[in-house]
Amino acid sequence: MTEIVNVQGLQKSFGKFRALSDVSFTVNTGEVVGFIGPNGAGKSTTIRILLGIINREAGDAEIFGKDTWKDSLEIHKRISYVPGDVTLWGNLTGGEIIDLFLKLHGGGDKQKRDSLIKRFELDPKKKAKGYSKGNRQKVGLIAALSVNSDLYIFDEPTSGLDPLMESVFQEEVEKIKESGKAILLSSHILSEVERLADKVVIVRQGEIVEAGTLDELRHLTRSTVTIEAEGDVAEMASVNGVFNFKQKDNQATFSANNQYLNDILMEASKLGVKKFESAPPTLEDLFMRHYEG
Amino acid sequence: MKEKFAQWDTLFVLYLKRDWKKIIVWILGIGLFSAAFVPAFEEIAKGQGLLGMYETLQNPAMISMVGPTPVETASDYTLGAMYAHEMLLFCGLFAMIIAALHVVSHTRKEEDLGLSELVRSFQIGRQANSFAAIVETIFINVLLAFFIGGVMMSFGADTISAEGSFLFGASVGFAGIIGAGIALVMAQIMPTSSAATGSALGIIGLLYIVRAGTDVSNVDLSMFNPLGWAYLTYPFTENNWTLLFFAFIFGLIMVVIAFALEGSRDMGAGYLPEREGRRYAKKSLLSVRGLFIKINKGVMISWLIAFILMGVAYGSIYGDMQTFLESSEVMKQMFSSSGVSIEESFTSTIMMVMIGLVSILPIAIVNKLFTQEDRSLLSQIYATKVTRTQLFWTSIGLAVFAGLVGILLAAGSLGGTAISAMGDSSTMDTLDFLVAGYNFLPSVLFFIGLAALALGWSPKLGKVVYLYLGYSFVINYFGGILDLPEWFSKTAIQSWIPRMPMENFDTPIFITITVISIALMAIGYLGYSRRDMIEGT
Ligand SMILES: Nc1ncnc2c1ncn2[C@@H]1O[C@H](COP(=O)(O)OP(=O)(O)OP(=O)(O)O)[C@@H](O)[C@H]1O
Ligand SMILES: [Mg+2]
Repeated sequence: MTEIVNVQGLQKSFGKFRALSDVSFTVNTGEVVGFIGPNGAGKSTTIRILLGIINREAGDAEIFGKDTWKDSLEIHKRISYVPGDVTLWGNLTGGEIIDLFLKLHGGGDKQKRDSLIKRFELDPKKKAKGYSKGNRQKVGLIAALSVNSDLYIFDEPTSGLDPLMESVFQEEVEKIKESGKAILLSSHILSEVERLADKVVIVRQGEIVEAGTLDELRHLTRSTVTIEAEGDVAEMASVNGVFNFKQKDNQATFSANNQYLNDILMEASKLGVKKFESAPPTLEDLFMRHYEG
Repeated sequence: MKEKFAQWDTLFVLYLKRDWKKIIVWILGIGLFSAAFVPAFEEIAKGQGLLGMYETLQNPAMISMVGPTPVETASDYTLGAMYAHEMLLFCGLFAMIIAALHVVSHTRKEEDLGLSELVRSFQIGRQANSFAAIVETIFINVLLAFFIGGVMMSFGADTISAEGSFLFGASVGFAGIIGAGIALVMAQIMPTSSAATGSALGIIGLLYIVRAGTDVSNVDLSMFNPLGWAYLTYPFTENNWTLLFFAFIFGLIMVVIAFALEGSRDMGAGYLPEREGRRYAKKSLLSVRGLFIKINKGVMISWLIAFILMGVAYGSIYGDMQTFLESSEVMKQMFSSSGVSIEESFTSTIMMVMIGLVSILPIAIVNKLFTQEDRSLLSQIYATKVTRTQLFWTSIGLAVFAGLVGILLAAGSLGGTAISAMGDSSTMDTLDFLVAGYNFLPSVLFFIGLAALALGWSPKLGKVVYLYLGYSFVINYFGGILDLPEWFSKTAIQSWIPRMPMENFDTPIFITITVISIALMAIGYLGYSRRDMIEGT
């Protein structure tokens, strides 16, 4: 497993506004890293630095061990990128634009292109001006997925796609991942990240607030517990490690700090449990904590 | 009917609130430009000034630029007559262009940006937006007319009467309304806002050039030109108010046509059909150069056609020149004593004007690179093996190419038409015209250099290059009429270059300006290769 992307202590300001104050993470081969955070957190800014579109003020950003600003050309030969809002030249057709991107990238696979056009159900003969948001996005995706790269960078790639197309995209990403390529995926669709990502990096106000595998992150947080008992479930409210307690008749739902799970079970067993369900936190739960906090 | 325009008044008030700064600059800018030169003209008029100016402006080159005067003898040429003669056409044209740009930016452009979709989702009529925009533009032009009239009158100069002042103002105002009408129609027909802007400006330019031809050959024909209904009102002399009635009717018809067209089209669509395109790209598209050519093709072809038309229009005047010379004893003396033929003198002036216009296209091509950057069109391309060096120099190369071809077509069509119009009496051959045209090549390169500099260091200033071009144009335009101080006229780049064939070619100047221009491009490149790309922020 080699390191493909390595970002350390990245900083960037726009005028007085500090968009990134400390961003560090890595992406390895065969790994999908989910890059998530609230609007304006600095995800796209980080990605633009990785692509050499803008320059950082401090910190290191390397891809394939090369500097993203100075050696961008070398890097670009081996990466693919899809922005969250693909804009196209209105007077060219989708097919022409895809061909152009493949050519400018080099190393495009014509057969792959044709099969992707079919899978994404794109009409390549239409002028881009007439494409809907989702169809524009497809043009960007097809162009990026038809070339053979070692690193794929996606910034909200599925915004505007319908659920069917979204799952086509996810299948394609899984294929890429299996062939050992690295993927950086920024997205607001948490189910997508949950399905695809091995590692999650959460950024907020230009800083990394959490990073690790999903399992690791889950461990640090709370599970959602639903309990039904013969005794008075209200007693559970005062147990250590119980939060957000809600009761309805003799049924209660609360979040439980994973560290205190044992204590909670002991207490509950005194009440004559009829039902005890514990759901691991979804990425959404995890995420909400950071969004709100 | 009512439903279609529902709430237009709300939008109108909103526009006034949103645009008030622009409106003030607009009215002050055009208003003062139109009205405030009265004291300067009083200076010119002193002594033999009026007489001299009358003769100067009888020159066909001058008529083709500033228009005719109804005054038939130099002794009747008053201050007012001169002011209207020299200023009205130009001010009207100016008002027209600004109004056309404003109308497109408030109608078609908002549609393309998706703003009208949001507006229309409220309880607002389908055509309320266009109606509010046109009413606003008319309102501004009415204010402008009164402002000009008031300011001109306030100087209390002899022969600048109240009636003439307000007619002058009204003529400028109506020119604006005509421009707005043309733009509103184009906004419906064309498939995009930039095509609408381009075609509206193209039509205005064409009207201007056509009238140059008819003014010299037969002024009555200029009366059929919408532009004529504004600049042929002859304030301070004939005070021909009735022409404004035609202007009013024309504006009204344009607006009615535009609303009929808008009523039956879909939002975001135009009337020109969209053809089905290619499934795969042609080989010629598959490079940065191929892409840039494709993107700029529309603009390039329309401008190049405009250059040819311009050359033909000015070229056709040459046939009338000798006849013209026969009719004026003073002119005849003037030319025979200077040793320069009237054709050569005309060529020198017109060539400078034409090559000034040719510079617009290369500037547009360089600025286009930033427009694309700003609209995030290039984001996916940055992530390929395409370098900034390629993007920058391909744009510059294309701009230089467009400049070379533009000069060839403008000078060539001028020469070709002129020679055939002059017949046997021709004193110049095509090569003379081409040499006179390429003599100005350094000025075109200089504008490309300025645009490149802006692109590299402060891309938002790219538009300012047009301003400087407009400024140099005005300096050159008035340089022939007013006696500007040397240093002042030298602020326009073209003033450094000798006017061929009247003057001799100056090798050091040619080389110096070329080298400076290339240096500007190189400095621009340094900035471009270093700066952050800007994407829609
Ligand atoms: N070129 C720029 N000039 C000024 N401010 C900028 C620029 N680019 C980004 N910003 C600001 O930097 C912050 C981070 O923006 P960024 O686009 O990276 O957010 P993001 O995490 O991608 O958000 P989203 O989820 O909405 O896409 C925002 O507050 C944005 O307004
Ligand atoms: Mg973003």
